Amino acid sequence: MSDTTTSGRHARHDKHTIAVMGNPNTGKSTLFSALTGTRQKVANFPGVTVEAKIGTARFENSELTVIDLPGTYSLSARSPDERVATEALLGRIEGTPKPDGVLIVLDASSLDRNLYLGTQVLEFGLPAVVALTMMDVAEARGITVDAKKLSETLGVPVVVVNAPKGRGLDELKSTLHRTLHHPGKPLELPYPEDFTRGVGTLHENLCDLGVELGFKPTRPEALRLLVDGAGPFFEECEEVGGESWTRQFFEIRERAAGGRSLSMVEAQTRYGAIGGWMRDVKQTETREGRTKTDVVDGILTHKVWGSLVFILAMGLIFQSIYSWSGPMMDAIDGGFGALGDWVGGMLSEGALKSLIVDGVIPGVGGVLIFLPQILILFLFIAILEDLGYMARAAFLMDRLMSRFGLNGRSFIPMLSGFACAVPAIMGTRVIEDRNTRLTTIFLAPFMSCSARLPVYVLFIAAFVPETKVLGFLELQGLVLFAMYWVGVLAAIPTALVLKKGILKSKVTPFLLELPSYKAPRIKAVARTLLDRGGSFVKRAGTIILAVSILVWAAGYFPHSQRVDDQYDAEIATAEAPYSESVVKFDPETDPDSLMAKFLEADEAHDARVAALAEEITDDDALETAVADSKKKRNAAMAEIAASSTEATQALNDYVAWKELSEARGEIENQRAGHHLENSFLGRAGHLIEPAVKPLGWDWRIGMAAIASFPAREVIVATLGTIFNLGGDQDEESDSLREVVKDARRADGTPLFTLATGLSIMVFFALCAQCAATLAVMRRETNSWKWPVASFLYMTGLAYVAALVTYQVASAWGA
Amino acid sequence: MSSQTLDKLPIGASATVLDVAGEPALQQRLLEMGVLPGVQVSIVRFAPLGDPIEIKVMGYSLSLRKSEAAHVTVSA
Repeated sequence: MSDTTTSGRHARHDKHTIAVMGNPNTGKSTLFSALTGTRQKVANFPGVTVEAKIGTARFENSELTVIDLPGTYSLSARSPDERVATEALLGRIEGTPKPDGVLIVLDASSLDRNLYLGTQVLEFGLPAVVALTMMDVAEARGITVDAKKLSETLGVPVVVVNAPKGRGLDELKSTLHRTLHHPGKPLELPYPEDFTRGVGTLHENLCDLGVELGFKPTRPEALRLLVDGAGPFFEECEEVGGESWTRQFFEIRERAAGGRSLSMVEAQTRYGAIGGWMRDVKQTETREGRTKTDVVDGILTHKVWGSLVFILAMGLIFQSIYSWSGPMMDAIDGGFGALGDWVGGMLSEGALKSLIVDGVIPGVGGVLIFLPQILILFLFIAILEDLGYMARAAFLMDRLMSRFGLNGRSFIPMLSGFACAVPAIMGTRVIEDRNTRLTTIFLAPFMSCSARLPVYVLFIAAFVPETKVLGFLELQGLVLFAMYWVGVLAAIPTALVLKKGILKSKVTPFLLELPSYKAPRIKAVARTLLDRGGSFVKRAGTIILAVSILVWAAGYFPHSQRVDDQYDAEIATAEAPYSESVVKFDPETDPDSLMAKFLEADEAHDARVAALAEEITDDDALETAVADSKKKRNAAMAEIAASSTEATQALNDYVAWKELSEARGEIENQRAGHHLENSFLGRAGHLIEPAVKPLGWDWRIGMAAIASFPAREVIVATLGTIFNLGGDQDEESDSLREVVKDARRADGTPLFTLATGLSIMVFFALCAQCAATLAVMRRETNSWKWPVASFLYMTGLAYVAALVTYQVASAWGA
Repeated sequence: MSSQTLDKLPIGASATVLDVAGEPALQQRLLEMGVLPGVQVSIVRFAPLGDPIEIKVMGYSLSLRKSEAAHVTVSA
């Protein structure tokens, strides 16, 4: 009996834990979901990039903890990611319950290959049950599998299941329930004598090493080590056993091999045994004609049609993450903006209000804003993966990606990187090979994401002249295009360095099963979306929020009272000439007053102008329309004013109030700018000024770059604040563009030149100024090593590139 | 019986695997995936860019790069 789960309110008769193992594409996850329903969570395996799910299944009075281990073709382990399945099976992972038995999922349509892993697992001798899936697919191909004979052959119960249709689940549960009460018996295969002796000798040798290893190695592990001769377990043994152990190990290996390759001995023994069993268990009648999958593949992997479908599919994915997520993101942005205003209206001025309105609310909004892109990308990935198309896409793109040390599976994550690195990095889960996955994770942030666009738009509009090159190419467009290439061009040498250097693996084999096409299951797709969205919010969201609040604090403190007093006095001076009714007027508290009616008419005009600007592109036509709207407003105001003497007075008051409001706003913006300059962030800007001077920056740009650490696009708002425009500037606003053009250095020369603009753009194209990306990197690699390396590398690269850009551009007189 | 490597076979060709070599990691992966001596393989297609190859082995479709297939010797 295991003691792994809490007892709960009801006393259960018994509790057990099973591990589910099987090849990828066997319907393993579907079966897991069918068994456990919604009662599942993600298990954290330290030090590896794969994860497992843990769920609970109920059967009569018993409770079954089910661990869904990553799908694999073999237990051979050359990386920690591959070793984790064995470790989990033996209950050696802290925080994950030790399995009392194992459920082996076998795909009936490719039973031979599925049994390869099956025999490896059965050698562990844990109580085991086989779930036979895909019987319908097998039958369609003319393959009949005799479950009863398979059960007799393997010596374990075999249950035919069809998880999507819910068939065989009860029988599976009751079989598991029965089986877990009896000890299992290890499967014995007819290995050559030398081999068996070698496994035995190595097992004894490992048991002697057991104390230092901290666990008791099992015989199947000795077999694995003998054959693999490398990998994390080998390294562990080498470390505790020293040189003498390594020497002994290779002696044992040599004797066991008897002049052959041990992998070959293992494979021939397993497949030899499997082939023998299959003569009784499986019957294949040769069918004329091609299967559905063959027909579909004829099109989807065709030179012309396949490429066309692929380009369309990728275009659709990119378009939807890049633009269709826009309305949802705007809604989140707008919603959090409104929430901030609403909450801000209820709080009195001070640090708490600023913390909530400028720190927490935008921070939470800054986490949720990623959800549309993540969900859209995973919607496609889940559907395509379920369909079986992901493997085909990898098949089509492998040639191209392999040149950069990646493989075909890296393509979709890299493409997504052009929209946003966060879903891209999460999307690398489709890459099975660890090193390729890490390389892709490291490279994805180099793709120019949509958050860089505001930075480009602001500086291109301000500094790149609106001229044409070669008569038809817009120079502004060309510069924007070039900015997109900066990242790609930096990524290529980086990829090659990673491949040759840090991730120095020989080219990893890219053997890819092309599974048969299946209809996507809505439930499974929905679950993937919930999973990915939830795990992003929970695990990466907290880091992003924390960083946002830290940067807020750096920009707020020390909030000097002296500065506040100075601006309060200025406001008092500005208010002095006005009557009390003007100073005290507040449209929020006096919504029915006469003054508020004038404000209403004014705001209606502003709304009309905004709408017109969207509709009318012709400048002259727009001007006429705006003038019309103004006439309408003036007429409405005149009508109200004419109604009484009080109303006439109110109009005068309203005009005065508007004037005062503007003056107040200007003072408030100056106050915010002054506070920002005095803040830790402002001081940090001054501190790094000598370092950023060669890039053509001053302390304000340096500070804005630091402030944009939570997210790149923040630089626009920070520049707005520091230039006393208030924080709600965006890249399209003319006032910011003008101010940027007019900003001066201490010596009176223009702060921003084309060279400075280019240097900022290049810096932002390459830097890692995105807390969300780093947080997701940490989450997906399960280590801080990668985000730290990424940050240092990208920042260093960005600095050097910006330096070169500025120096070269200024030398040319830009 | 003459022999050649798997990457040299034309589309539609079938052959029997004679030997599997290559780096230990590659050799092991190929063997695990069912590409081992005595097994029938057939070439289904090449990817549009000419690489990788799709083969049928043990009743399923497997994609592998030409450089990997070059380590598999088959009967001609």
